[in-house]
Amino acid sequence: MTIVRTRYSEAHPGLGDGADPVTTEIIRQGLNAAADQMKQSLIRTAFSPIIYEALDFAVAFYDADMCMLAQAPTLPAFMGTLGFCVHEAVEGVGGPAALSPGDVILYNDPYGTGSHPQDAAMVVPIFHDDVLVGYSAIKAHWLDIGGKDPYCTDTVDVHQEGTIFPGVKLYDAGRLVSDVYRMILANSRMPEMVIGDINAMVAGARTGAEALAALVRRHGLDTFRRCVARMYAHGEALVRGWFDQLPDGVYRASSVIDSDGVNGTPIPFGVEVVVDGSSVTVDLTDCPDQVGGPVNCPLPSTVAAVRIAVSFLAGAGEQPNEGHFRPLELVTRLGSLFHPVRPAPCFMYGIPSDHAIELILRALAEAVPESVPAASGGDINALVWWGNREATGEPWADGAPHPVGQGASRSADGASALMYISESATRFTPAEVWEARNPWRIERLALAEDSGGPGRHRGGLGLDLSFRVLEDQYLTSGLARTALAPWGMEGGLPGRPNRLTVEYPDGRVEDFSLKTRIFLPKGAVVHLRTGSGGGYGSPGERDPEAVRADLREGYITHEHARRHYPHAL
Amino acid sequence: MTTVIGVDVGGTFTDLVLHDAATGEIRVAKQPTTPSAPERGVLAAVDAAVPRDLLARCRHFVHGTTVGLNALLERRGASVGLITTAGFRDVLEIRRGDRDDPYDLSWTPPPPLVPRRLRLEVAERVAADGSVVRELDPDGVRRAAETFAAEGVDAVAIVLMNSYANPAHETRVAELLAEAGFAGPVSLSHEVSGEYREYERTCTTVVDAFVRHRMGPYLHNLDHELRERGFVGELLVTRSGGGALALAEAAARPFETILSGPVAGAAATARLAASLGLGTAVAADVGGTSFDTALIEDGRLPLLYQGEVVGLPLQSPWVDVRSVGAGGGSIAYADAGGLLRVGPRSSGADPGPACYGRGGTEPTVTDAALHLGMIPRGRISGGIELSAADAARALAPLAGLTGIDGVDAVAVGVIRIAAAHMAQAVRGVTVERGVDPRGSAVVAFGGAGPVFGCLLADELDVDTVVVPPNAGNFSAVGLVQADIVRSAARTMVRPLDDAALTAVGDVARSLFERLARPGAVREVDLDLRHRGQEHTLTIPVRLGEDDPAAVSARFAEAYHRAFGHTLPDPLEIVTVRATSRVVLDDERPLVPAPPSGGGGAGTTRLWSFRRGAWTEAPVVRREDLTGVAEGPLLVLEPTATAYVDAGFAVEAHESGCLLITRKDRP
Repeated sequence: MTIVRTRYSEAHPGLGDGADPVTTEIIRQGLNAAADQMKQSLIRTAFSPIIYEALDFAVAFYDADMCMLAQAPTLPAFMGTLGFCVHEAVEGVGGPAALSPGDVILYNDPYGTGSHPQDAAMVVPIFHDDVLVGYSAIKAHWLDIGGKDPYCTDTVDVHQEGTIFPGVKLYDAGRLVSDVYRMILANSRMPEMVIGDINAMVAGARTGAEALAALVRRHGLDTFRRCVARMYAHGEALVRGWFDQLPDGVYRASSVIDSDGVNGTPIPFGVEVVVDGSSVTVDLTDCPDQVGGPVNCPLPSTVAAVRIAVSFLAGAGEQPNEGHFRPLELVTRLGSLFHPVRPAPCFMYGIPSDHAIELILRALAEAVPESVPAASGGDINALVWWGNREATGEPWADGAPHPVGQGASRSADGASALMYISESATRFTPAEVWEARNPWRIERLALAEDSGGPGRHRGGLGLDLSFRVLEDQYLTSGLARTALAPWGMEGGLPGRPNRLTVEYPDGRVEDFSLKTRIFLPKGAVVHLRTGSGGGYGSPGERDPEAVRADLREGYITHEHARRHYPHAL
Repeated sequence: MTTVIGVDVGGTFTDLVLHDAATGEIRVAKQPTTPSAPERGVLAAVDAAVPRDLLARCRHFVHGTTVGLNALLERRGASVGLITTAGFRDVLEIRRGDRDDPYDLSWTPPPPLVPRRLRLEVAERVAADGSVVRELDPDGVRRAAETFAAEGVDAVAIVLMNSYANPAHETRVAELLAEAGFAGPVSLSHEVSGEYREYERTCTTVVDAFVRHRMGPYLHNLDHELRERGFVGELLVTRSGGGALALAEAAARPFETILSGPVAGAAATARLAASLGLGTAVAADVGGTSFDTALIEDGRLPLLYQGEVVGLPLQSPWVDVRSVGAGGGSIAYADAGGLLRVGPRSSGADPGPACYGRGGTEPTVTDAALHLGMIPRGRISGGIELSAADAARALAPLAGLTGIDGVDAVAVGVIRIAAAHMAQAVRGVTVERGVDPRGSAVVAFGGAGPVFGCLLADELDVDTVVVPPNAGNFSAVGLVQADIVRSAARTMVRPLDDAALTAVGDVARSLFERLARPGAVREVDLDLRHRGQEHTLTIPVRLGEDDPAAVSARFAEAYHRAFGHTLPDPLEIVTVRATSRVVLDDERPLVPAPPSGGGGAGTTRLWSFRRGAWTEAPVVRREDLTGVAEGPLLVLEPTATAYVDAGFAVEAHESGCLLITRKDRP
C-alpha cells in the first residue's frame, strides 16, 4: 500500500520579493484576459456542441516550471488539472529540450489528463527570444476518438475507452505531422467533427500562446518572472488568510457511490479534512481498491475535486493560479478508487470526483456552517445520443449535461435547476436548437413540483425533461446519484435522486442509471427527472408566508404542504 | 441641412446637443437627471438651452432614454402574463442552467419577470420545420384570459415553441385572447424576435411586454410637451443597435431601445473615423464609472445580434460596446493579499472622488490623476474646486497597505492599473474580431478619456490618438447624427444554395413589409456558419446579384480574418436579417466647433510616465495651440484635458480634433 502526498512546493521562493506590486497586478490581469481570449476563440470555432455549448473544456497557461499562471473560467471540474497533462505531454515528446517554436503536442492519456480519452489536450510551448517561457494548453471533449462506444459506462479497462495519444507532436515546428493526423481521423466515428474541433483547439492554443508572448515582450522576461512569483505568493496569501479563520480540527464525512457500472455493488468511501493553521490536508484513502467498472478517478481529477471544493469556499471570487493551491495537501492511496493505476477503467471519472466535491464540503460544514449548503442533485446527468439519420444515413451524435436543484443553506432556499457545481459555467441547449438538429421532440421542460427537499429553507427544484425520439437511435445514460437521495442538513429533509425512465412504444417502461447503448425505437419517450436540493433546518420552522408563496406559485402542492408544513396552513 | 436636437438621459446628467442648421453651430448643455420623472430633466434642458423659435425650426428630436432600462433595474413595469406551449411554462425560470459566477456555490438567479402563477400553458405544438404536430386548443387560451383578468394582468407575452418557423398559432392565441376580452397590449414572440432559442426569445418578449407599459406613455407625454412648446418635427428614439426609431415604433418595440446610452459615443466615433479616413479606430470613452470601448472598422458600428442587460438576454441588434469598471470615479484599494486594485466599485456622482471635497474619502482614479498633475488643479465645470490635498490624503493609506513607496508611486500605480484595464478591454474587442490594435487610431473622449490617450497608446502600441473637440460631450454628438433604422430577423436553418438564396429573398421581402418607410435603403445580412458549427458570422448579401459562391467567398474572408484559418465545410444559413435605413442628412457636421475657454494657461508640475519623473510642463488652451507642440504638456478645453506625455506631439487638426502622434516607442 503506497500513500501518496500531493503537495505543491513554492517555485522560486523569494523571487517575487522585489517585484513591483503594480506591475504584478497588471500582469495578473493580463494573464487572466489572455486566458479568456483563448477561451472565446475556442467557443466560437468549435464544432462539437459539447465544447461550445456545454463548455466541456479547459484553457490555461503554465509557466516554464509547469505552475499554473491562469485558467479561464470554464468547467471548474478541470480546475488545475492541466498541469499534469502539460508535464506528461512534454515528457512524452522528449522533455523541454525537444521543443521548438511552432510545436503542438497532442495528449489524451487518461492517467495524465484525469479524464477519458475523449478529453484531448493540445499543448503549445511558448518562446521569447528562443527561451521557453511557458505553455498554453487546451483540453476539450471530442465527440469520438474510438472506444467501444461513443460514451461508455461499462468498460473494464482503459483500452476499451478510446485511442490513446501519449504525447505526440501534431505540429512539428509549425508543420502538420500528417501521420498523426490521419491516425486521429481513422480512429473516430465522427471524423468531420473531430477535424473541426482540432482546428479550433490549435487556433485557440496558438492565439493564447501569442497573447502570452506579447505579455512577456511588453514587460521583459525578468520582470515577468519576478511578478509571476509575487502573483503566486499573493494567491497563496489570499487562500491562507481564509484557512486561518477556520477552526483547527479534523472533519469527516462518508457516503456511497451507487455502482461502478459493471458489477453493480455500492461503493462506500469517506473523506477526512485536517485543518491546521493555514494549511489544509484532504485525505481520500478511505475508499476501496480500484474497481472493475469505469468509476475510478485518476489522480489529476482527484486533485481537481479537492481544489474545487476548497476554492468554492476560499477563492474569494478570484480566478485561481498555482499560488491558490499551495496551502492544500492531498493524501491518496496508489491503486485505489481515487488514485487508480493502468489499466483501470475510468471513463466515468466524474462520478467519484463530483461526489467527492460535495462530500468535502459536507465535512467542512461543521467548521463553516454558514457557507455549506445541503446536497444538490449531485450529478451532471450526462446523456449521449447517436444514430444514423433516417433520410440520409448520415451519422449524428449529441450529448449534454442537465441541471439539478441546489441544496438549501442556512440563509436561503436552494436555487432550482442549475448545473452541478463542477460544471457550473455550462449552459444547457435550447429545446428549439435540439429539435432543429436532432430527431427529437421535447415534450416537457419543466420544474418538478414538490421535488425540493423540505426544510426551514427549501431545496431547489429538479427538472422534468421528456424527449420523444422521432427516429431509431441509441442513448448512453451516465446518471449517478440515482439511489442516494440528496441529503438535508440541520434537520432538513432529503430531495429526490436522479432518475431516467424509458417508455417504449409497446408500453414497456424501464429505468436506467449507468447504461451504455440503450436502443430507442422510433416513438420511445425518454423521461429525465433530475435530482433536487436537500432542505436546511426543520420544515416545521419554515416561515408560513414562504409556504403560502410556494403554494400560490405552484412550487409545491397542497398535499405536500399538508404533509411537511402543516403549521403554515 | 436640418436643425436637430439630441437629448441623452444618463445616470447622472441629461445631455443636450443642438445642431443649428442656420448657423452650423453645435451647442451642448447639461442638466441633472431627474430619475423619478425623466421627462422633467429633458424638458428643463430644452427650456434652458433651446429658444422657442429654434425648437420650431427643429426637424428631428433624437432622444436616448433609460426609461426601459430603469424599469428593468427597478423591476417596475407591467404585470405581465405569459402564454406558452404545454410543457414549457418554466422556460423563463429555468434559463440555461448556468451561473453568473461559476465559482459561487450559493449563486441564485434573480426572480423571473413573470411569476409562475401567471405563466400559463396551452395545448398546441409546432415542429422545427413549421409543421403542426398538435392543433391549438382554444379553451386553454380562454382559461388563461380568465386567470389574467382575475389577476389584473396589464400585458401578455405569447411565446410558443418553434413559432419562428410557423407563427400561425401565436397569432391565433392573440386573436382568441382579444375575443375573450383581454384589451391590454400583447407581445408575440415571432414579431419581437423571429429567432430560435426559446429562453432568449421568451425573455425578449417578456421584457417587451414589461417595459412597453412604461415606455409608451412616457414617450407620448414627452412628445406632447414638446409640441406644446412649438416643436413640429419628429421625435426619434435611439436604438441599442445604432440609429433611431420613430416614436410609434419605439413605443411598439421598446426592447430595441433598452441600452442606447453607450451607443452614441461609438456612433460619433464611427462618423468621425469615416470622415478622417481612419481604417480602424478604437472608441475610448472614459466616463465617471466606466470605460466604454468599441472597434470601428471602415466607419461601421460593430453589431451583435444578442445583448444582455441586468442578466436578461435580449435578441435584438446590439452595438458591441464593452464596458469595464475603470473610470474617473473608480476606487483604488488594497486587496486581502496586499495587491493594489482599481475598480469596479465607483465613488459615483455622490460623493465623487475625494478631491471634489464633498465627503468622499476613498481614493479614485481622478484623485491619482490630479495628484500627478494630469488634470489642472483648480475649478472644474459645475463649480467644483479640486483639492490636491484631499486627493493626497485619500491616496496615502494605500502606500502602507500595499508596500508601495510613497503617495507618488501609489498614484502612478493607480493610473497604470486603470490604463491596463482599459487596454485589456480594447484587446478584447479587437482580437475577437481578428484585428491587431496596433494598426488602429485611439479616439479618446469622455471627461477623462483625453487624460488616458497617451497611456493607452503605449499600452496598445498605437501611434495615433485623436481627441475630438468638446471631448467631454462627444457622445452626445452621436445623437444628432443618428439615422432612422429598423430591423427584423427570422431564423431559417438550411444549406446555402441557389434555392436557399431565393427563399432568403422571400423572407427578406416579408420582413421589409413590416419595416416600410419612404426613402429607406434596404440591407440584408445572413447569419452563416459551417455546417456542424453553432456560432455564426453575419455577412451582408446583395439579393438578386450574389450567387452562393459569392456569399461563400465573403464568408471565408470574414472567417479567416476572425479566426486565422479557413475550412472546406459547406455553409449553412441560420438567420435572415433585414435592415431599413433612412439617412436623415449627410450635411450634418462631424464635430462641434472647438470651444474656447478652459482655464488658465501657464506651466504646471506634472508626472511624466515616459520619464518616470516629475517635470515642469506647459499648459496650453486649445484655441492657442498652433503648429506642432512636443510633450509633455496639457491642452485645456472646457470639458476635458488632454495629457500629452514626453515622446508624443500634438497638433490641432483642420477637422477641429487634436491629433496626438507618438514620436518614439517607450
